[in-house]
Amino acid sequence: MTGVLGGLLDALPLSYADAVVVVGTAVVGFVAGLLGPLAVLRQRSMFGDAMSHGTLAGVAVAFLVTGAKVPELLLLGAAVSAAVAAFAMLALERTGRLRSDAAIGVVLSVSLTLGIVLLTGISGSGNASQAGLDEYLLGQTAGMVERDIVVALALASVAVVAVGLGFRLLRSATFDPGFTAVAGVRTWVVDAASTGLLALAVVLGVRTVGAILMVALLVAPVVAARQVTSTLAVLMPLSGLVGAASGAVGGLVAGRAELPAGPVIVLLATGLAVLSVVFAPRRGVVAKLARGRARVSR
Amino acid sequence: MSPDDVMIVVIAGLLSTSCAVLGGFLVLRGQALLPDAVSHAVLPGIVLIFLLTGERATLWTVVGATAFGVLCVLGSDWLRRTGVVESDAALALVFPALFSLGILGISRFASGAHIDLDSAIYGDLTFAPLRTVSLFGADVPQSLVVTGLATVAVVALVVVLWRPLQAAAFDPAFAELAGLRGRLIGQVLLVAVAGLAVVAFDSVGAILVITFFVVPASTARLLTARLGTMLVVAALCGWVASIAGHTVAVSADTSIPGTIGLASGALFVLALLFAPRRGLLTRRRATP
Repeated sequence: MTGVLGGLLDALPLSYADAVVVVGTAVVGFVAGLLGPLAVLRQRSMFGDAMSHGTLAGVAVAFLVTGAKVPELLLLGAAVSAAVAAFAMLALERTGRLRSDAAIGVVLSVSLTLGIVLLTGISGSGNASQAGLDEYLLGQTAGMVERDIVVALALASVAVVAVGLGFRLLRSATFDPGFTAVAGVRTWVVDAASTGLLALAVVLGVRTVGAILMVALLVAPVVAARQVTSTLAVLMPLSGLVGAASGAVGGLVAGRAELPAGPVIVLLATGLAVLSVVFAPRRGVVAKLARGRARVSR
Repeated sequence: MSPDDVMIVVIAGLLSTSCAVLGGFLVLRGQALLPDAVSHAVLPGIVLIFLLTGERATLWTVVGATAFGVLCVLGSDWLRRTGVVESDAALALVFPALFSLGILGISRFASGAHIDLDSAIYGDLTFAPLRTVSLFGADVPQSLVVTGLATVAVVALVVVLWRPLQAAAFDPAFAELAGLRGRLIGQVLLVAVAGLAVVAFDSVGAILVITFFVVPASTARLLTARLGTMLVVAALCGWVASIAGHTVAVSADTSIPGTIGLASGALFVLALLFAPRRGLLTRRRATP
């Protein structure tokens, strides 16, 4: 795999360092865009925000347990704590005592403060390799290496395979949870599966764009793609492509202009989303205005 | 406790009071995530004012930051009203974009400036007693003055607008029909939240802002069903969390905002389990 990847990186008309960042951010953007509909279409966009803030605690715990910065283990810690945060939100919602926005807010606050306390503890301990742990809050692409891409590609293929195999189930759970339940599938199984997939996307994205901006990477490509299609089978890959394009172009531009990549990627994706909302052929604001006017003049 | 410690607790307590009071209305209206979005969206405002005036903690900063907070709310509201984007997705689209602009502004034009992202996020609460202003001949921490004024303003606002706020929180349609200007009240509330978020952002950092707006109010929501009682309980939760969190932070030598946030979370979990009528364990014990 590494050989193929090396060939691909060489084949791009870019310097090696640029190529690594472009391919890496493209893969991350693709995964986030592909899985974003699982959150956005169920009106759980801000779930992603709480999950990405939740990763901090997991990264800190993984670091405390292993005592070293092994990227894969930190990723695992992040994934576990993002999933824990997501399940905490689902559980709080199910108790029926809080609305979902309050449940998300509570989980977000608590998991973020827990992460901060743990990170403060780590940086107070004077451990030399802890430097850079809080990059997870704001993201970092400059340090990306081939190994990160391999990990990202592996997780991306897991996501693609899972979506491919479970597509029918995900689709019915997304649009009609009631039907899925009646059809004999336990809703919590589907909830758990889609939450696990989202955790995967969040964990990949957090290293690149940071915990604060991650939610945009999940939501913006979906909003952009949603305006031009209403079929989930088209929406997911299309939104993945929008994410990949934003990631690649953003990573490249940021590298050339010596800007942090996360904000550039997010602004590109948001720009595409707004363009799509305004100019999309049928659902777009302009199209609707034009239709309204045509009807009036008739 | 040393005088500095008392000062930190008082600043945190005052801030938690004003945040809890406004947060109570947000939680009832289903807008609990607005403070999170707004506290991030204000960053470009702070950067812009810094670039224009070279200062980062003046009244103009508050004005500029509040403007961007309001812009965030208006922007997501516009997206929602196009009818093609759900309100949660609209919020999740707008605030990261604004925060991104802020970060780009800092890294492009103000990298040498004192807009320290760390202190914006983690908060300067620990050093708050050290930054003083002279007031009536005595040195008073600037944060204390600012948070004190903000708290008085927020409480006054809520007292003056009690009826319409109450009506709009429970029944927006009735508020509009009864001539209580439900929409206008909603907008006033949002501007107040944005302004307070900015003040709090500077004093205690973004983390505690989000926590103080949402967690004590949600805790109080579990404990009582009456609006007035709920706001008082929420403020009390804020004070208890500030005192407990500060005590733990000092003895364990860790981040003060972090432990205050965790203490609020602990209170919430206690309420969730043991609240007199809505608690998970209380009800289970009552049913069999």
